[in-house]
Amino acid sequence: MIELKGIEKTYLRGSEEVHALKSIDLKVSKGEFISIVGPSGSGKTSLLHVLGCLDRPSKGSLLIDGVAVENMPENKLVQIRRKKIGFVFQQFYLMPGLTVFDNITLPLVFSRQTIDKGKIIRAIELLGLKERIEHYPKQLSGGEMQRVAIARALVNEPEIILADEPTGNLDSENSEKIFELLKSLHKNNLTVVMVTHNNDLASRADRTLLLKDGKFIA
Amino acid sequence: MVFLKLAVANLRRHGTRSLLTALGIATSVAVLFSILSFNKGFSKGLARELQRTGIHFMVVPSGCPHEVASLVLHGSVIPKFLNTSVMENIVAMKDVDFATPILVTQLPNAEKFRVDLVYGMEMSRLAAVKPYWEFDGKIPSTGNELIVGSEIASHNNLKKGDVLTYSGVSFKVSGILKKTGSQDDAFIYMPVETLQTILKKPSGATAIGVKVKTPETLAKTTDELAEIVPGIQVVTMNQVMSSISNLAASGKVLSLSIAIITILVSAVGVMNSMLMAVFERTQEIGMMRAIGASRADIFRIILKEALILTLFGGLSGIVFAVAGSDIIEKFVRRAMPYIPSGSMVDFDPVLAAASLVFVSEVGIVSGLYPSWKAAKISPIEAIKG
Ligand SMILES: Nc1ncnc2c1ncn2[C@@H]1O[C@H](COP(=O)(O)OP(=O)(O)O)[C@@H](O)[C@H]1O
Ligand SMILES: [Mg+2]
Repeated sequence: MIELKGIEKTYLRGSEEVHALKSIDLKVSKGEFISIVGPSGSGKTSLLHVLGCLDRPSKGSLLIDGVAVENMPENKLVQIRRKKIGFVFQQFYLMPGLTVFDNITLPLVFSRQTIDKGKIIRAIELLGLKERIEHYPKQLSGGEMQRVAIARALVNEPEIILADEPTGNLDSENSEKIFELLKSLHKNNLTVVMVTHNNDLASRADRTLLLKDGKFIA
Repeated sequence: MVFLKLAVANLRRHGTRSLLTALGIATSVAVLFSILSFNKGFSKGLARELQRTGIHFMVVPSGCPHEVASLVLHGSVIPKFLNTSVMENIVAMKDVDFATPILVTQLPNAEKFRVDLVYGMEMSRLAAVKPYWEFDGKIPSTGNELIVGSEIASHNNLKKGDVLTYSGVSFKVSGILKKTGSQDDAFIYMPVETLQTILKKPSGATAIGVKVKTPETLAKTTDELAEIVPGIQVVTMNQVMSSISNLAASGKVLSLSIAIITILVSAVGVMNSMLMAVFERTQEIGMMRAIGASRADIFRIILKEALILTLFGGLSGIVFAVAGSDIIEKFVRRAMPYIPSGSMVDFDPVLAAASLVFVSEVGIVSGLYPSWKAAKISPIEAIKG
């Protein structure tokens, strides 16, 4: 469903060119669980940017469901992000002024969808956050915040979840819980691409890719 | 709705900064609203005063019509007198209803050791000249009675029946003029004949007030009069009022400019505050873009924040202005040479709405640049590094 062909990403740092991604080819099939590992600075985040249509590749082509998107105008990319992609971040990024419920509905608000309250509440209950619905982020633990963030990523019913070190700010117990949550979503046919530093978790994915200096070496 | 919650929540996150910015807006809106209210009240007051006056024009010595006008209203002294004999010429005109001498001076008050503004007039004409006056007591019926304006009465603790002495002549207070809210409250009114005797000007007058039968042909009457009687000048009440409003107009322009400038300064404050907020929330804005917000969404969120901030400031400003209107009115009355009677700063919902609309426009304009800045933030800001 997502295909990268000869993707390169070059940043300019002052007058110096940084080649963050060098000729990446990757095919993500529907229902796959892929983990990406690699040293810091190897280009993992840059790869997620491209996968998630947050940033355009400097070179190469990106096909989403067979459609080339690398040259799409920004307003079309927004539509793709809204419909097909859910993001989970290392720092959770919940809006501090909004309740758990409102945080979760934010993507629906952005994509102008009606909010089915019952459905959202059921989803929240499924994630074990029933008592937290009207709470604010600062009242939650890290694990709970990440679960809310995952609920937010799911609310638009995306085809794929992109997670950049989702357990990077959590202890091992909570890391395990979040990973299990992603696993169970995957069992329900969701495609997951997760960047992680945790080799143990990475090895439990369908496929593990090792990135080094902007290239896959495994 | 969520956008609104978000905007309010975000403003509260930078609570002190938002509050200070809103305070700047509030102050400038309070100034603007007070000035607009005052200007409106002033014009209305002038029109009302003009409508109520029993006199259509005044005949004054030629040369200094505006000084006389201001003295009749305001009570300063000029040593130029008219001779009441000109009244014969005036009353001889067919459209003149009546003419009455007015003598204004300052006299030392033996009891209270102060100098009072004394206004000599024909007590028989009083009801016609000042139709809206109300008294506690009655109009003087003898030459040795007088009326005291409410302000003087309360300052000096004067009551009906008290005795006041001017230049050795004793007067009984026959009545206290009830508060009119105008300069009339600051005068002593005595029979003009007695005042003429005191001043040793048996037929002297500062001005002669004239009432006509048909106010529509006032211009014709005054033109004719100026031809018949040499050495006089005619000042219509309209002219008096318009010279007052001219005087007030320059003050209006100045005060409005000050209000506009303070609003512009506080608009810069809004812009600065919003720019800081956008800068501090770069990652968060990137996150919103990543989870589906378009550039336009971000633009709207930030603009809404700026608008709410200014509207909140504006509303508080109007509340301040209304709550402080008495103080403001007192201050302005002291600062202005002439203020018509009645309250000058009545709450006017139309002006309040207009001030709010204006300040929202200012809010939108000052929010444009920060919103544009925010809309330009790339979604990759959410997951850098
Ligand atoms: N916006 C940027 N501007 C300049 N250089 C960048 C930018 N983003 C990433 N880089 C550089 O690109 C390389 C890859 O970074 P990144 O994709 O964040 O790696 P990782 O997530 O694996 O740590 C690094 O050398 C990083 O410094
Ligand atoms: Mg990274």
